Amino acid sequence: MALLTVENLKMYYPVRGGVFHRTKAVCKAVDGVGFTLEAGETLGLVGESGCGKSTVAKSVVRLLKPTGGRVVFEGNDITHSGARELRTFRREMQMVFQDPAESLNPRHTVGQILEEPFVIQKIGTRGERSEWAAELLRRVGLPVDALGRYPFEFSGGQRQRIGIARALALKPRLIVCDEPVSALDVSVQAQVLNLLLELQQQDRLAYLFIAHDLSVVQHMSDRVAVMYLGKIVEIAPAKDLYRNPRHAYTKALLEAIPQVDLSRKRERKLLKGDVPSPINPPAGCAFGHRMRHPKWEESVAMNLSLSEVSPGHWVQPCPCCTEEGRFSGLPVA
Amino acid sequence: MNAPLLEVRDLRVGFQTDHGLLVAVDEVDLTLERGKMLGLVGESGCGKSVTARAIMRLLEQPSGQVLKGEVKLEGRDLLPLPLEAMRKVRGKEIAMIFQEPMTALNPVHRVGKQIVENLLLHEELTPAAALKRALELMEWVGIPAPDQRIHDYPHQLSGGMRQRVMIAMALSCNPKILIADEPTTALDVTVQAQILELIKRLQKETGMAAILITHDLAVVAETCDDLAVMYAGRLVERGTVESIFRSPYHPYTKGLLECLPKLDHPPKTMLPIIPGMVPGLRDLPIGCRFAARCPNAHGDEVLATRQPWKDCGGGHGVEACACFASKL
Repeated sequence: MALLTVENLKMYYPVRGGVFHRTKAVCKAVDGVGFTLEAGETLGLVGESGCGKSTVAKSVVRLLKPTGGRVVFEGNDITHSGARELRTFRREMQMVFQDPAESLNPRHTVGQILEEPFVIQKIGTRGERSEWAAELLRRVGLPVDALGRYPFEFSGGQRQRIGIARALALKPRLIVCDEPVSALDVSVQAQVLNLLLELQQQDRLAYLFIAHDLSVVQHMSDRVAVMYLGKIVEIAPAKDLYRNPRHAYTKALLEAIPQVDLSRKRERKLLKGDVPSPINPPAGCAFGHRMRHPKWEESVAMNLSLSEVSPGHWVQPCPCCTEEGRFSGLPVA
Repeated sequence: MNAPLLEVRDLRVGFQTDHGLLVAVDEVDLTLERGKMLGLVGESGCGKSVTARAIMRLLEQPSGQVLKGEVKLEGRDLLPLPLEAMRKVRGKEIAMIFQEPMTALNPVHRVGKQIVENLLLHEELTPAAALKRALELMEWVGIPAPDQRIHDYPHQLSGGMRQRVMIAMALSCNPKILIADEPTTALDVTVQAQILELIKRLQKETGMAAILITHDLAVVAETCDDLAVMYAGRLVERGTVESIFRSPYHPYTKGLLECLPKLDHPPKTMLPIIPGMVPGLRDLPIGCRFAARCPNAHGDEVLATRQPWKDCGGGHGVEACACFASKL
């Protein structure tokens, strides 16, 4: 059984306006996303800003209550769980945020920050908690005397280590990492990535790893899901996805990555335009619509649920963005 | 031989703070040739943005001051210029774009007005002609339907479009140099690629030179001709992109190149790292500032004395710390 199963996840926000504050439109931030995550596995989630990756992350740890679909963690449906029930699940699932300066309370010492999870969960005595906090610091490579200091006394990389230590406190099985290294310097980024890999090997942690840097995601992930406008358009083992992308959007994303390798200077096909708004998204294949693909109209009437093109490699079968669309996209009756 | 377009010599910039004078940029030399793109690379706090601001004389006042050095634009030192003359240089000869266009654009004025304002300030144009030129500029930088966008406020535009507006404003008076301070850091990869491509295209069309300030070496590899690497306020290595990427000499440059996750690196394996972190400006050694994180064996003497600059030919130079100088 998978550690985490997400089925047909939907997160809609009403857009209100006018004199009577009526709902004018619906913002479909996440629209029918599904994936599974095994223990010890990393699933990377990539896409442009506004595609819904962070909304997926927050729905998985139930910081948001999804509009529709199911989130199943260790066999338990937590989609509609209340606060008390969630508190027990949160021992098993934690989150690391992008900006450690904003996600650590500036008025708490590092010791207080690291002991708080135990206090909330009512675990241990005061002495045990501070012992555990010291142990957590050691695991993320910070000196124990950090306990009495405040977050502002640390550099960005060290603060992110504190954020990771806090996430580790309750020995979770899943950590959702939302852009964990994008605020860090290049030389520090590698240190934090190494730390995350090390911790994963030690504890068989599962990561849902979100980042906009596709090279970082490739380095960290076993499988990668590509999101576009609230939907997953392609999901595949990392190697497969980067070597053999099938969806036109995935190809465009990969082409846009700047390369350090000078011998690979190439002419790039650049993606035009910006990410469209998820308010009233187009019908059918959203990317085909952005590209004004002549075959986009065909996709409107089609069933665009992902289809498997090779073992574990799933892609949205539309006629405008994939070769597969021609063969496997079945018209909806 | 003509003088280079822009020459920064021996630049030292300090900030007066509660903790005394902090030197953010220490004896930096840069050369920008006509029509070239120079990448200025380093981590946060290394002084790359301060260098750019010192060139534009836009240092935060009154705390920021140039302590010594010169900034020569076509042989003319900009630093002693009276403010009035400097104002004519800014925008007209050297233009600058910033990381977050939302904070650089005025949120309560329509973008068209902001472009026009710049044109009226520097060029002798009638308002109607300026408006026409603004439309041309917007079209030139790839803003679709400029006649409609010209009436938009900055918040109505996407990040990529805002950066295009900034570029249109910066290029409105045909500057000789464009300084771009992390122009794509706040943008998505796809939009980043568009903006970099745009800057390269405009550069080709106008023959202007550009300084691209970034922390992203991959961006430099794709767009720049020359590269200068800064660390803790000092220049540690400079040369052509080709030469530095093929054979970096300084252990910091080497480390920076190695610790990037690359697409051909085996996934889920440990990356090579630079241990430790960027030092603070308060207690920097006189000598090699990278010594505390340097993987090479070295004695204390590299900390105590300023390590000499060494030219290795082909414009490639490096701060030749004793720990590796013998291998040069």
